[in-house]
Amino acid sequence: MSELHIVTEDQITPERTRRGKLMIRGGLALLIATALAQWADQAGLVDLGRTSWRPTLYAFCLFATLLCWAQVVLHGEQGKRTLFVLPAALFVVALVVFPLIFGLGIAMSDWNLASPDGRKFNGLDNLWQALEDPFYLNALWNMVLYTAAILVEYVIAFGLALLLNAEIRARKFFRVAFLLPLMLSPVAVSWMIGKSMFEPRFGPMARLARTLGWDNPSFFGSPEIARAMMMIMDAWTYIPFMMIMLLAGLQAIPKELHEAAEVDGASPWRRFWEVTFPLMLPVSITAILIRIIFKLKLADIVINITSGGPGGATDTVTSFIFREYRDRSNVGYGTMLAFIYLVLIVIAMTALMKLTARWSRPQT
Amino acid sequence: MKHRIYEHFLRTGKINRRAMLKGAAATAGLAAGGALLPRGARADAHSNLRAEILQIPGVGSGSPTDADWQRVGEMCLGSTRETVEEGEFEGVELTFMGLNNQNTHNFLFRGFLKSWEDYTGARINWIDLAQADYNARLQQSIATGTVDFDIIEMGAPFEGDVLGRGMASEMPQWVADIIDMDDYVDYLKAPVGTWDGKTYRVSIDGDCHTFAYRKDYYDNPEFAEAWAASGGEGPWEPPTTWEQVNAHSKFLAGKTDPLTGLPAHGFLDPLKGWGGFGFYFLEDRATPYAKHPDDPAWLFDPETMKPRVNNPAFVQAIQDVMDLIAVEGAYPVDQINADPGTTAFQQYLAGTGMGLTWWGDVGAAARTSDTSVVGDVAAFSTNPAAQRVYNSQTGAWEDTRNESPNLAYIGWGVYVMAKTEEDPVKNKAAWSAAAHLGGKDLSLWASAYPSGFQPYRNSHFQYEEWEAAGYDRDYIEDFLGANLDSYNHPNGAIEPRIPGIFQYYSVAEDELAKGYAGQYASAQETADAIAAAWEGITDQIGRDSQIALYKASLGMM
Repeated sequence: MSELHIVTEDQITPERTRRGKLMIRGGLALLIATALAQWADQAGLVDLGRTSWRPTLYAFCLFATLLCWAQVVLHGEQGKRTLFVLPAALFVVALVVFPLIFGLGIAMSDWNLASPDGRKFNGLDNLWQALEDPFYLNALWNMVLYTAAILVEYVIAFGLALLLNAEIRARKFFRVAFLLPLMLSPVAVSWMIGKSMFEPRFGPMARLARTLGWDNPSFFGSPEIARAMMMIMDAWTYIPFMMIMLLAGLQAIPKELHEAAEVDGASPWRRFWEVTFPLMLPVSITAILIRIIFKLKLADIVINITSGGPGGATDTVTSFIFREYRDRSNVGYGTMLAFIYLVLIVIAMTALMKLTARWSRPQT
Repeated sequence: MKHRIYEHFLRTGKINRRAMLKGAAATAGLAAGGALLPRGARADAHSNLRAEILQIPGVGSGSPTDADWQRVGEMCLGSTRETVEEGEFEGVELTFMGLNNQNTHNFLFRGFLKSWEDYTGARINWIDLAQADYNARLQQSIATGTVDFDIIEMGAPFEGDVLGRGMASEMPQWVADIIDMDDYVDYLKAPVGTWDGKTYRVSIDGDCHTFAYRKDYYDNPEFAEAWAASGGEGPWEPPTTWEQVNAHSKFLAGKTDPLTGLPAHGFLDPLKGWGGFGFYFLEDRATPYAKHPDDPAWLFDPETMKPRVNNPAFVQAIQDVMDLIAVEGAYPVDQINADPGTTAFQQYLAGTGMGLTWWGDVGAAARTSDTSVVGDVAAFSTNPAAQRVYNSQTGAWEDTRNESPNLAYIGWGVYVMAKTEEDPVKNKAAWSAAAHLGGKDLSLWASAYPSGFQPYRNSHFQYEEWEAAGYDRDYIEDFLGANLDSYNHPNGAIEPRIPGIFQYYSVAEDELAKGYAGQYASAQETADAIAAAWEGITDQIGRDSQIALYKASLGMM
């Protein structure tokens, strides 16, 4: 490491080194001892009368403080540099890593809140159960279908972005108007659109459908139509999000490129395919990836409108976990379902990012 | 009383102002003369109190306010004064967990208990929960050992979770003396509210499903003629059995609704889940087939916890629904996506369908909701019977007519937590507060005015009291009669008060949804899937403990 920015030459004495190491080891020992005591108390091995994990939290805070302090004691000026990052890293560890570890512990347990026996470790039983659970597998398959619909959303969003990027009348008005669905809560969309406008008897869409010759309109009655309706309502809400990202990308393209292509005699269609689309690829990939992440969390409109039906046709992983966890108090299994989903999402997103890396780089 | 009922009375003139004024004048006269009455006449003081509180704020004088709740609470403080010294609970602090639905429940309790707090010196902290959050909050409190409340307002279905774990305090005799449990309607008497022979619950509400149907369908001569022409069995009159319900539903497919001019439909089964509560509606159909008068159990076998949900009785109920799904027009077009909220408030009350089963809300809303169009054509009865009943003991059908109203959810009660027993003063304070809320007179007021609670004592059905208070007697009798008959039915179906009962219901909804959508080959296969899922839940919660708790809830131990 470069010594250029070190303004003082620290004289780290062996005594100081010993003290620094003692601080770290002492803090760590205290943390481990407190956590072990807490665990033993929880497991019923000893009775310390602990009612919460707060002592362990306090021990962690003390350890974190000592660890940071010890960096300066051990490394002087170099240790102060570490302090720019270490507290943040410890904070992340406290808020992400620890809960994940605890969550994993819960996922590997048989824990139904109604059971008088409480929580019991059951290893990977929940995982094997999930892999054979027809409701979960059905929900996963539905998510594949829902995610595939993003390609259609992308095409529509791109079209709208192109329109709003063009010199049209009332452009600002349309930009705000197209954004309105995004501002609506999905719960509001469920009730206003799904439950009211598409109400099969008196809803305006049902009346329109009857006028158009569909005698008994049913928007959520058959599996295929219900799933398509969910896709449409979710798309209606989130297309504006993709659109606004794509619009920002379009506005960032230098006008000179289009003008040069025009001077060279390229047709509008050719200008789009040869100039606009390639330049928009990084933004497009980003918009699609973020949209996929949003889509994988789809739950609220499904829970409100169909509860996953008919026959599981619209069920999502999140809405199924919601039922398993909330309605059935099946905490261990519900947590494992969430973990499996998390792992699948991480793998899928990583693979997607790798696959699209070539197009994600800014085009020059 | 539900808000809607009360508002309806205000709007539609169902409140009889003349009778109300008569009652008020009589009450005032009695109150004024009370001090002059000889000692023997003091026996009337109690009935005077009932008449007096029914004049607060006065039927027809708008919705009661916190001042009214406080006044009623103060007037009903008599039993507290008899059992507690003034200031006896000074320094005691209690925490009360309950609902805050529609500004009822806990909101009224605050007012009712204000004078109790002033008199006893105790103070109450409140935990208000939305209905949807209630189950999760209670289960988490139990599972994580974080019971941070001393008194809880709780539905009887949760008794397995709480009483079964010994988390509640046994009711002292002096409380039982105050609240007069003999006055409860039959189904709220033991074993409801009890566990292993001990009593824990102060009832404050009653719940059951009743059958609401359309009178105009059955007064319609064209329907009657067509029914006869079609060879329909028996006269064209309101169905009293599920077999008739199905026959009528099939017949009505393709007919025109006499009220709305839109397509007529039959019975409105909710085919979509409703957080576990939707299963009550299949139970409505199943209980007359499944609840044998000689057997208290009907959902599980009490010796093994083997589900009965796939026995021929339940399969018949599921098959009945599937039969109607197969008939085009028997149900409205989107019925597969209709939950009980839809069948009640978007279909039946909006003039769709011949009838449905529901809690008292539909009976009330039929005549009170702004969106209801069936106010003048709605009629009520107990749930339909069945022409045969399955005997689980013999494993055979018996060709005898069987009624079994579904006493769904059983109603709210107040329970004191066992943790208060560490401090006898606190425990007594908690029970005193619970007894005050479950008092006979105060509960009459809560039945008659918007509170979120329905009548649940036989004394609540003294229609002359309602009439004297200013209500229209015919309406009250019509509305409450179906409930009273269900409450006191000798073969009423009371759900198992075992831990996790809503888990069973919830998973059943998922499997039923698949069955109704045609993903299982038959009703039997659907029922078998439910039974398999129930076995899984029982094993997870603990079969032995479930058996013991189920037996205890049935009073078999």
